[in-house]
Amino acid sequence: MEAHESKKFVVPIGPQHPALKEPGHFEFSVDGETVTDASLRLGFVHRGIEKATEGRTWVQNLYLLERICGICSDVHGTAYSIGVEKLAGVTVPPRAQAIRTIVAELERIHSHMLWLGVAAHEGGFDTLFMFSWRDRETVMDLLESISGNRVNYSVNLLGGVKFDIDEKQAGEIRRGLDYLEERTRHYMKVVTTDETFLGRTRGVGLMSKQQAELLGAVGPTARASGVERDVRVESPYLSYGEFPVNIMLETAGDLQARFVVRINELFETYRLIREILDHMPSGELTTRMPRRIPEGETISRAEAPRGELFYFIKSNGSDKPERIKVRTPSLCNWGSVISMAVGHKLADMPMLLVGIDPCFSCNDR
Amino acid sequence: MDSDCTLQTAETLLQPWAEGYDHPEPNRLDVQVTAANLKSAVQELVKAHWGYLSAITGLDHPAPGEAEGEDQAGSSSSLPVEGTLEALYHFCCSSVWTTLRVNVPYSRPVIPSICDIIPSATLYERELMELFGVELPGTPSLQRLVLPDDWPDGVYPLRKSFTGFESPTPP
Amino acid sequence: METNLSSSWQKVLDGIKTWARVNSPWVIHFNSGSCNGCDIEILATLTPRYDMERFGVKLQGSPRHSDILICTGPVTRQARERLIRVYEQMPEPKFVVVVGSCGLSGGVFHGSYNVVGAVDEVIPVNAYVPGCPPRPEAIIYGVVALLDSLKK
Repeated sequence: MEAHESKKFVVPIGPQHPALKEPGHFEFSVDGETVTDASLRLGFVHRGIEKATEGRTWVQNLYLLERICGICSDVHGTAYSIGVEKLAGVTVPPRAQAIRTIVAELERIHSHMLWLGVAAHEGGFDTLFMFSWRDRETVMDLLESISGNRVNYSVNLLGGVKFDIDEKQAGEIRRGLDYLEERTRHYMKVVTTDETFLGRTRGVGLMSKQQAELLGAVGPTARASGVERDVRVESPYLSYGEFPVNIMLETAGDLQARFVVRINELFETYRLIREILDHMPSGELTTRMPRRIPEGETISRAEAPRGELFYFIKSNGSDKPERIKVRTPSLCNWGSVISMAVGHKLADMPMLLVGIDPCFSCNDR
Repeated sequence: MDSDCTLQTAETLLQPWAEGYDHPEPNRLDVQVTAANLKSAVQELVKAHWGYLSAITGLDHPAPGEAEGEDQAGSSSSLPVEGTLEALYHFCCSSVWTTLRVNVPYSRPVIPSICDIIPSATLYERELMELFGVELPGTPSLQRLVLPDDWPDGVYPLRKSFTGFESPTPP
Repeated sequence: METNLSSSWQKVLDGIKTWARVNSPWVIHFNSGSCNGCDIEILATLTPRYDMERFGVKLQGSPRHSDILICTGPVTRQARERLIRVYEQMPEPKFVVVVGSCGLSGGVFHGSYNVVGAVDEVIPVNAYVPGCPPRPEAIIYGVVALLDSLKK
């Protein structure tokens, strides 16, 4: 016999809210404190970029696509450049590949430290937020010394890179990395031993390996559940063939595992950048690119800090693209959050959402 | 991994439903399937654990020369070819890709939903519906993904025929 | 509400109100379609290197408690109503600072089907900080310049 239906209460959050810095509308159905259902409304940052690319030339699109997202702007430019260069049949010189790789890894550092601060801020741990962002300024300075801007560095050109890294800059990068490595060790200690922090992250948002594979999770979110997916290892691009990366895996699948995976990735990145700097190939920075790209379709992928970034580029032989399709990693991870949210308390929601490192501007394009 | 991540394996798995094969790049396989056979093809790949669904792309192929459509009296040219919409289902296994390509005409743009096999495809299908106007019967959510709720029905921004509104502000 | 105070008392009260607003403005941040580049530079102004809080500026979450609205991004169709609603919820006197080239003119996204245009086509704006994104120092300069103009 049925008991009377418990009244469900829907808590709408957003699009303007102090928790996340981006607009997104969530609706959580709660029963007391426990979430029973979650739904999500995206689209506040939809700027119609895929349509806009069809009206701009290949070179203009580079600048447009870099601005899909400010945090992972370089990897969008990289994936686009790789795809267009493949269509044009052009090989980029090795020194340019190495510089692209270094900037992409520096971007990974900046993105993970940004995420660490924001995630700590969601958990109420403002001290960690301030510390990690202060240390992040080191990597922003390095990027500025290479490219002239702190965000939207625009290092990529179709056919190569714009800026070189000379010995003095390489020395600065090494010094910056030494400082960051020491600070990252401290953060690892905090994340794995601080009791209050563990109380908020251990066991929260559990996702098993099967669920991660079924729901199509990518990036550190999937690697925290033991799924071995990393574009840099599966199909190496840029210089990842000569300088291979080790996949960082955790098996716990909870929020704490996601923290640990990203911090381990930071250590791996420091090692990789030092290795590339020690073995920098010499040579040209750019190579000639035709103005009209030959007809064809191509798929190019890159490992953004959040996961696998997918570009489908179709050319009809003119100087404007026929179709560019962008599938960003955050879109894959939303499905996992919605199913993980059920059963948790409403107060855990901000940290859970931030655990997959959502980027609304990437989703909505 | 239950299945070899090679294009050969994918070709063999999809043979019963393939209308045509193409290798546009060394690590890519394009397989043409009809809308009716799509679900069986997807089921086969999923059952063999061949990779994962990475993205669903939509393409618009408007009919050539649609603007000057009037037949001259006595012209014996063939009827104008109808425009089609194409959906590409990209499956990625390690470093190789298999793309299932489904073409549907403008007059009947219906492709069955694959969400009962791959639940996470709902986000990609929502986008395909609202930006191209493809109908996907069986898809669990018809909510818009990126377009605003007050977007006029029947206007599909990513079709080539859409060139923007005269006035960008809503009425 | 009409006050029957004499004009010199009125002047004193006004002076105190301006002093309070200028010395400790509360700020709210709204993202109306931005790529996040400007937003992370705004957040960076709170961090120890730039530290906007030493100017008395406090970033908080509710429009009903704030004096200044910092707005980023080209205005998308969905964000338009929300932006107007947030602006209307702020109590008078209120000021708007637009950060980033997208807010000034639509930026690289101008002409897109889902972008309405610059922020000043939707709400009145008091200060503009151009850049893609502007440096945190430029953002602080913009806010401080606005406060200086209030003092007059």
